[in-house]
Amino acid sequence: MAVYKRNYKPYEGVLTADWRRFLVPARYALETLFQSRLLVGFMVAAWIVPIFGVTVIYLHYNLSAITLLRLNPDQLLPIDGDFFGAFLSFQGALAFILTAYAGPGLISPDLSNNALPLYLCRPINRTEYILGKMAVLFIPLSFITWIPGLLLFAIQAGLQGQGWGWDHIRYAWAIFAGSWVWITLLALLAVALSAWVRWKLAASALLFGVFFISSALGAMVNEVLVTRAGNVLSLGYVIGIIWANMLQLPTNKTLFGEMFDIRRGDEIPQYMAWMVLGLVCAACIGLLNRRLRAKEVVS
Amino acid sequence: MTVATEKQQQTAQLSPVPLQQTVEFRNVSKFYGDVLGVNRVNLVIPPGITSLVGPNGSGKTTLMNLVTGLIRPTCGDVRVLGLTPGDPEQFFRLVGYCTQFDSFGKSVTGRQFVEYGLKLQGYSAPHVKALAHEAIARVNLLEAADRKIAGYSKGMRQRIRLAQSIAHRPSVLVLDEPLNGLDPMARAETLDLFQQLGSEGLHVIISSHILHEVDQISDQVILLSYGYVVAEGKIKGVRDEVKEHPMQILIRCDKPSLLAARAFGCEAVVEAKLVEPDGHRGAGVLIRTRDADGFFLSLNQIVLGDNIQLESVAPADDDVLAVYQYLIGSEGGGE
Repeated sequence: MAVYKRNYKPYEGVLTADWRRFLVPARYALETLFQSRLLVGFMVAAWIVPIFGVTVIYLHYNLSAITLLRLNPDQLLPIDGDFFGAFLSFQGALAFILTAYAGPGLISPDLSNNALPLYLCRPINRTEYILGKMAVLFIPLSFITWIPGLLLFAIQAGLQGQGWGWDHIRYAWAIFAGSWVWITLLALLAVALSAWVRWKLAASALLFGVFFISSALGAMVNEVLVTRAGNVLSLGYVIGIIWANMLQLPTNKTLFGEMFDIRRGDEIPQYMAWMVLGLVCAACIGLLNRRLRAKEVVS
Repeated sequence: MTVATEKQQQTAQLSPVPLQQTVEFRNVSKFYGDVLGVNRVNLVIPPGITSLVGPNGSGKTTLMNLVTGLIRPTCGDVRVLGLTPGDPEQFFRLVGYCTQFDSFGKSVTGRQFVEYGLKLQGYSAPHVKALAHEAIARVNLLEAADRKIAGYSKGMRQRIRLAQSIAHRPSVLVLDEPLNGLDPMARAETLDLFQQLGSEGLHVIISSHILHEVDQISDQVILLSYGYVVAEGKIKGVRDEVKEHPMQILIRCDKPSLLAARAFGCEAVVEAKLVEPDGHRGAGVLIRTRDADGFFLSLNQIVLGDNIQLESVAPADDDVLAVYQYLIGSEGGGE
């Protein structure tokens, strides 16, 4: 067969912007994710605490409602850094559960199906691919962490008035930035474990392991060596230290401090907490770099 | 066309097709750590169908990965129609890749799979549907397009993979074992499609173990062994270069014994063997010669001189299979 005439017409239509390309895998994965009724139910249930928070704030400014419910105003949770810290902790725990459910299925199917070459032989690189997969978690995790958090802050600021919002803007910043630190860590861990362990259930178990086994290990080190330095091994504790600093919270005798078992005087230094987070993120990126190859390496 | 790697540079320089319209390897080597993928490859692949042939581990997949931009060469330069993967927006639009593995989720329909690829290419929504439809129609899968791929047969999966690789209208189509799992009918249709694409001016680069089918459709072949290009060019030309294996010519005629006796008198003939009748075809002589052109001249004289009625004269070993066996043998489990 000879080629007599080149009459094949390449595509000459409109193209989407480069930066939007990573949203394609995200969109498809989100569609798949929200086909799960369990997940949708969980997302709805995750708003119980924010609604409870709104109720508490509302009661603070509505004496007739307190009277009607026969409550003592002094018994109400004060709306302060501890309140927002506790809120962040609770919603953060829910975010962790959601990640353990949704995260492990993000990359492992593509690896099992050898689909990576089909992604990467198109104008999308590995970073964009990973970002696309992480974006799948960013949306639902935002929906249950900083979005309701900022809503609570806005309601409180609105009801209190008198410049409360501006005076306590650090809470809003802490909710937003603290949530994103947590979301990024969870998403990165989830995609890394999903790339490492192809079996979804095992990847979920591993994600729990990363947090609970590391905490147990930290506690063991503390007990054996009579120290608090073992806390650096506990990711939960580390994130607690970072949030406490962002909220400028005293850690003793606070609800937040109790939740994270942070005692005044023996906290790990801030820089060390950030360093631990940095190391975990670097390990995840290293793992992703190793696992996400367009083709199997010949051996 | 050439057999020895030393000649490849010459071939590149003599290519009649402008380099902007070729897939070009310039002294390309790829190592995976200490493991050799391909070494010092110089190739110019013109439009049409080019088959990569070689045993497992010979470097076929590495070459395909280099063309598709999935891996970068350790040294050297790969250019696809003048572009390198350094310009991903343009480069990846030129290339279509059909892997040999299933690469889709169980809940995806054929149409969604093809559309997904088009969206990743950055094609706008109105065009995505039309292009996906066109590609699925081209592989004759429209009826099953909206069914989940999990329910597809192996052949249908192969065809939907093919559809996603051609949907964005690439100029270079790279197909890894595209005939695997296809029944004879689907195989014939697929080969026909490749020929259509090739004749339209596409570069169709195929890796396949089904050598006789590769032989039917290929404009040229590239034979690989242990990461080196052993031979490349048109099959007939490659065969002519394999001097150490005499050419085999099967001649069916009414007087095979006489022809065999006369053929022995020719200087170029190494062997003449009588062949039994085969079905409705008559008896014949299998000639082995080191100088096919010289023998054909002598054959004319013999036939005219002895009034031999010829039924057919055909080369018996200028196909890919024979060339493969001569140049690569059975090493690496070649088929």
